[in-house]
Amino acid sequence: MGIDVAPAGAVRPQRGQGLADRDPDLADFVLPAEREAHDPPEARGLARDGVRLLVSRRASGEVSHHAFTDLPGLLLPGDLLVVNTTGTLPAQVRTAGGLAVHFSTAQPDGTWLVELRQLKDKISMPNGHGHPGQVIPLPAGAWLTLQDCATARLWRARLSVAVVPYLLRHGLPIRYSYVRRDWPLSFYQTVFAARPGSAEMPSASRPFTPEVVTALATRGVLIAPLTLHCGVSSLEAGEDPYPEPYDVPPATARLVNHVRASGGRVIAAGTTVVRALETAARADGRDGGVVAAAGWTSHVVTPQTGVRAVDGLLTGLHEPRSSHLRMLAAFAGPDLLARCYAEAIGAGYLWHEFGDVHLLIP
Amino acid sequence: MNTPVALITGASRGLGRALAAGLAREGLTHDGQTHERLSLIIDARNAAALQEAAEQLRAAGATVTAISGDVTDPAHRAALLRAAEAAGRLDLLVNNAGTLGASPLPALADYPPADLRTAFEANVIAPIALIQLMLPLLRASGGGVLNITSDAAREAYAGWGGYGAAKAALEQASNVLAAEELAIRVWWADPGDLRTDMHQQAFPGQDISDRPRPESVVPAFARLISQRLPSGRYRAADLMPAGHSARRPG
Repeated sequence: MGIDVAPAGAVRPQRGQGLADRDPDLADFVLPAEREAHDPPEARGLARDGVRLLVSRRASGEVSHHAFTDLPGLLLPGDLLVVNTTGTLPAQVRTAGGLAVHFSTAQPDGTWLVELRQLKDKISMPNGHGHPGQVIPLPAGAWLTLQDCATARLWRARLSVAVVPYLLRHGLPIRYSYVRRDWPLSFYQTVFAARPGSAEMPSASRPFTPEVVTALATRGVLIAPLTLHCGVSSLEAGEDPYPEPYDVPPATARLVNHVRASGGRVIAAGTTVVRALETAARADGRDGGVVAAAGWTSHVVTPQTGVRAVDGLLTGLHEPRSSHLRMLAAFAGPDLLARCYAEAIGAGYLWHEFGDVHLLIP
Repeated sequence: MNTPVALITGASRGLGRALAAGLAREGLTHDGQTHERLSLIIDARNAAALQEAAEQLRAAGATVTAISGDVTDPAHRAALLRAAEAAGRLDLLVNNAGTLGASPLPALADYPPADLRTAFEANVIAPIALIQLMLPLLRASGGGVLNITSDAAREAYAGWGGYGAAKAALEQASNVLAAEELAIRVWWADPGDLRTDMHQQAFPGQDISDRPRPESVVPAFARLISQRLPSGRYRAADLMPAGHSARRPG
């Protein structure tokens, strides 16, 4: 294939807007369009677990290239992999009026944060319209009432019927323009999905298959669940993620503490898992390990906050200046992270939810 | 950080009282060692019995707000909400208060519709209405709802048509609630036959002393709540922690 691979030199520390201003050490980079995964691996002739795995080791500074199915051998018996059991909702509802409403995050008062987007050729773009009190008719006789602006892009809104069952019946998975066509919801569901509630797939877990999970169990790697329902990722560059509902159950909290006390490593399958565990590590106001906790978390992991409860992270490849990169820098440090991204671009890795993954270990 | 708060309805006697005492004593024991204290809000129709239960809980060291009233009364439910708001949070709602309906238990052929209506008011409408009021607080804390049900919701016991149909409705409401609510746990749990006033009412004049005491199932419910098990239907008998097997006498 004649892919025009951007040279490693395309990755250059530069001062951009937003994140780079706040974290001047964090590498910014240009993501070439060829590095976007436009389709699921299954549509590219691969198995779901057939994606690539970039591995970076902080202590040695080593960066290496693997297949995702090498993961069990890269972890050690006694390590704990913590997974997110959230299920992806078909969180996009298209209206007869050419709007797409993206349902992002439930609020304690029963309202939802929603993004209004304009549909064009089945692809939606941000839409600056809407006004407080506006009532938007949705399919099957439901009504969405806009209350007020929660962020620059998201409205607080109330749907006339229960949102989750409504979406399960009338919604479509959220899709951005780099994905070329609609895919069924099953393409957006991970093997761990048990509790529907996320606007977008926790994509680091997408490559897991029953075979990989079995190989992990056979290897002696422990697996424990938690839940964090992910909101939409279409943040403005430099915008912090907003509060999301999470739930770290007592058995998982105990296992995290036990594994770390025994010298094992806690590996988060996805940035959502880091967010939940780091929230639970701070929930009782002491530094006594992770406690069972639930509710809404607004904790944002950065190099400044550091990580207390998690040793390693399996994650996708993230867009320039996304808040995720600040979390990754908390694991790898900015220099190693910049090198990882240079290698990933140079070696032809693919970005976004259907792309390749990256394991950051100590 | 405020102490977690649990609201238990029908706590002046029977299972409700045993649960209140158990939760006050054990608190939330996520790891089997540290005990997180719990404040209680309790209610019951009989004010004198409720005060006595509250005093016994306080004597054991619990923080208790006792509000007498009938859960089918909207003003009483509003008072319970005010108590939870005053406490600043709500982590657990136990819908335990209920009514058997007519006693002795009539066949459906003879069931007075007025008694049926009463059974549905207390066993279905009131718990749902209370959940509606408490949901914002429960969502904010990632809390749980525990609805007490019965095997009469599933089995065709002659005479239990009114109570059983109402509990079946409560079970299905719980099931739907669990599908609608992202951030809370919803459990509906069958404690099994217990030596309670309600059970005696169902078998008037009979000796029910072979049934276990309500205190015997508290460890099962404590496990369900403390471990925040996934939403769903549970039987206390299946939840007894290791070393607590609730053996029937004989």
